[in-house]
Amino acid sequence: MSILTAEQQEIKKAAKEFVAKYIIPNAAEYDRRGEFHPFLLEAAKESKIFTMAIPKKYGGVGYDALTQAVVVEEWGYGCAGMGTTLAAGVLGMDSLLIAGTEEQKQRYFEPILKGGLAAFALTEPGAGSDAASVQTMAVRSGDDYVLNGTKCFITNGGYASGYVILAKTDPSKGVKGISAFMVEKGRPGFTIGAAEHKLGIRSSNTVELLLKDVHVPASNLLGKEGDGMKIAMMTLDMGRTLIAALALGVAQRALDECVKYLKERFPGKLQPGQTLQFKLADMQIQVEAARQMLHYTMNLRDSGLPYSKESAITKTVCGDVAMSVTTQAVSLMGSYGYTSEIAKLMRDAKIMQVYEGTNQIQRLVISRAVLSPAPAQAAGKKAA
Amino acid sequence: MPKCLVCYKWTLDEKDIKIKPEDLSLDTSRAKGKISDFDRNAIEEATLIVEQQGGSVHALTYGTSAVQQSLKDVLSRGPDTVYWIADGSAESADACVTANVLASAIRKLGSYDLILCGEGSSDLFNQQTAARLSALLGLPCVTYLEKLSVEGDTVKATRKLADCTEVATVKGPVVLSVLGTINKPRIPSLKQVLGAAKKPKKEIKIADLGLTPEQLQPKAIHKSVKGFVAKRKNIVYKEANAAANVGKLTSSLAAEGLL
Amino acid sequence: MNFQLTEEQQLIEQSAHDFAKEYLDPIVLHLDETGEFPKGIVKELANHDFLGLHLPADVGGAGAGFVSYVAVIESLSRSCAAVASIMNNQAMVSYAIQHWGNEAQKKQYVQALVTGETIGGFTIYELGPIPGIGPDALVATKKDGGYVLKGTKAYVRNAGEAGVYVVFGITDPADPNALTAFLVDAKATGLTVGPKQNTMGLRGCPVAHVGLDNVSVPETAVLGVVKAGREIAAKVLALASVAEAAQTVGIGQAAVEHAAAYAKQRVQFGKPVATLQAVQTLLAEAATDCYLARLGLRSAAQLVEDAQPFESEAAMVKSFLARLGSKILVDSCQVEGGMGYSEAMPLPRLFRDIAGTTLLDAPADFPDYTIAASIA
Repeated sequence: MSILTAEQQEIKKAAKEFVAKYIIPNAAEYDRRGEFHPFLLEAAKESKIFTMAIPKKYGGVGYDALTQAVVVEEWGYGCAGMGTTLAAGVLGMDSLLIAGTEEQKQRYFEPILKGGLAAFALTEPGAGSDAASVQTMAVRSGDDYVLNGTKCFITNGGYASGYVILAKTDPSKGVKGISAFMVEKGRPGFTIGAAEHKLGIRSSNTVELLLKDVHVPASNLLGKEGDGMKIAMMTLDMGRTLIAALALGVAQRALDECVKYLKERFPGKLQPGQTLQFKLADMQIQVEAARQMLHYTMNLRDSGLPYSKESAITKTVCGDVAMSVTTQAVSLMGSYGYTSEIAKLMRDAKIMQVYEGTNQIQRLVISRAVLSPAPAQAAGKKAA
Repeated sequence: MPKCLVCYKWTLDEKDIKIKPEDLSLDTSRAKGKISDFDRNAIEEATLIVEQQGGSVHALTYGTSAVQQSLKDVLSRGPDTVYWIADGSAESADACVTANVLASAIRKLGSYDLILCGEGSSDLFNQQTAARLSALLGLPCVTYLEKLSVEGDTVKATRKLADCTEVATVKGPVVLSVLGTINKPRIPSLKQVLGAAKKPKKEIKIADLGLTPEQLQPKAIHKSVKGFVAKRKNIVYKEANAAANVGKLTSSLAAEGLL
Repeated sequence: MNFQLTEEQQLIEQSAHDFAKEYLDPIVLHLDETGEFPKGIVKELANHDFLGLHLPADVGGAGAGFVSYVAVIESLSRSCAAVASIMNNQAMVSYAIQHWGNEAQKKQYVQALVTGETIGGFTIYELGPIPGIGPDALVATKKDGGYVLKGTKAYVRNAGEAGVYVVFGITDPADPNALTAFLVDAKATGLTVGPKQNTMGLRGCPVAHVGLDNVSVPETAVLGVVKAGREIAAKVLALASVAEAAQTVGIGQAAVEHAAAYAKQRVQFGKPVATLQAVQTLLAEAATDCYLARLGLRSAAQLVEDAQPFESEAAMVKSFLARLGSKILVDSCQVEGGMGYSEAMPLPRLFRDIAGTTLLDAPADFPDYTIAASIA
């Protein structure tokens, strides 16, 4: 399951090196300033990380889901803020993988291959957990659609070259009246609004998007009119697993820092007593169990099997574990934890329970699956 | 060295009162008591005057048995002594009854240079107590005070009226009602709170006031008190574009006579 | 058994609440942003008798008792827990000197601590896990009718603003029980305050290491007697556990109330989210934890007032909140969703603050060990 192939080991090692070189030395500073990190995009471009989700035939490195999880966990280990920037870029590409035509894929992968970012814009001030109540409108006008509305809390919004934007094409059809559009940066009427000052992932760019009579050609529509929510849900199924990987990285980092601190603090003969040892053991149990769930989910994804329920479980457990382990780490590390980067880990972890669908929404998905389970898949399709 | 008497009411704290959605009746079960807001200003004003010039501040209250919770609170805010009248009649008392009870108590207590009240109570805000007291006691009355100064037996009062301020000079004794803007009531220091236990709290029994049953009979009867909840119409305009929505909204507002 | 505050205690709590609204609410954002020490507020705390709340009247205190003290700390913490931290650390010093100091020491320091003229810092912890042991220990060497102090005290609250520090040093490195408390003037030669630490929250209460490089103090600087340090530290830290718990509950209560108010007006799926059971569960658990913790800490405070043993109960409260304190904020923030992550709202600041009140600078097994020892 999570036993990696030689190639995956190599990729993991390269990811660790990238993080050690570019992310870890800069994380605290950018968090303190709450500023975006363009230098990271330059570095990532070189290592082709942006192309992780883009299949080889389009020029990307086309990592499978498990490999993506391994890489994204390393990003989270280094810095959840910078990791979110990179992971959200991958998420933006996922919608194209799900619903893009050949032409659209070529068109929108191109700037990413050159080191650009993508953004996925669903959330609005009135549409958070109630994602289906988006108010942004897309009205057909000749060969164009005209978009009007406001999106908020959009990751990478200020720096993306391409945006997946969910808008209503037919108000009378409710959820089935929502469509997904690719919108390029710089279209007239499309402006970037205020940036959020956040508790954590402070170097990640989180902004409002303002659309006023933005014209996009009909060829920017992903799939058909009315496919929007289906595309969004499938995109989120993928995105949730990547967020889970980030969360896992944060948790592992907190655990490692805690172990390092306690070993230094109790050198030689003074060992931490059983109470502390068992707290560490509990943290390790949580992190390992979360990782296995994530890797299993990625196996399902790679095998082409349904994985919505598992994705929800994974996102929930990894997010909750990150929150629990970082909180415990701060507590065990006392004032040192409270005045150091360990505190940042705790601040960063909180969002893992909220974005990509709150852990309450995840529980709705899971409980529905538990109460009305989907029919079992044919055994032959199961991965080894 | 003025002798001051401040009349205060022990009311429910409106922020603890919940409105029952079924019938808009009030749920006061969790409401704590408090000294009526502007009465606090009256207490503070009397205390400030006496701190500057000497004299004394007595407090007087009429209410149900709940007033006993108010005594240390009041004494922690400056007054030297508090007189309290607790009687079931307070439950349904109107401005008339309240003034009758307070006036007869004041006659019993002796003469004061200044009798202060808040402009109105936090719960009913009838704004009648000062005026009725002055009529019953045969004293001049000055209301809507935003500033007060005392020199010897002369009181100089600045009244804040709707469109002007008016300065009145009166020779005491006088009944005064104060606005919330006259001062900022101090936060009692802990020593003041702990010192309240040592100050006298004297009960006046209503039977000793020599009031007739008519004087305790309210002329205004409360039938019910209901909460007010703003109801949203929740009409959502879902036209294709903003201009169309604005058009529909303006038509709707005009139809309601709001434009 | 009466679980209600007495009339006086209620009035004191009310004064603290009104004080918090008037003096703390307007400055709390500024303190969080700048970490500036609020000198003016300390003056006002003194003016309202809060700094001397727990001390007898003959030293200028209000003599109000420990239950009143924790009620005040909770009320202040609902608005600004950083100021409550300043007050707690001040009280640790004034209590220690009042309790163990001789007449000269009390005369020199207590009044000034009550009026806020002097700020106090209580320096017990070191960079090593157990004070008095290890290479970083603060050593007090007897010399010339006094002592020479050398070492570093870590994460001292009120550092840099304090005029006097209670410094715990080991007078005999071979004997871990030889911890002795000294009163050290902040201006003493050789005493340096390190750079201000960047705390996650509770900004406004400065935290820094205090280095003592051969600081000479006279014999008269010993607080209590030589080797009384462990006893003094244990008592003061046990009291501080209860006082810090009051901070935690105050912050938590503020968070629950804000989250509940938010949930009542945030409409999703056509209704306020407060009507959703998922949200109700989050609020209910947070409110429950605040309620039970408050009962526990007030009960422990009553034991203190009654001069009964309370160390085990104090450890229980500390242990409970070490497990669940931050959860109150994790769940309250969760109720507010994305808005609960935005620093434009108060919850992120409360999230950052609460973790500072539950953390254990003592080794984290300390509460469990203490509790188990009392029951096994």
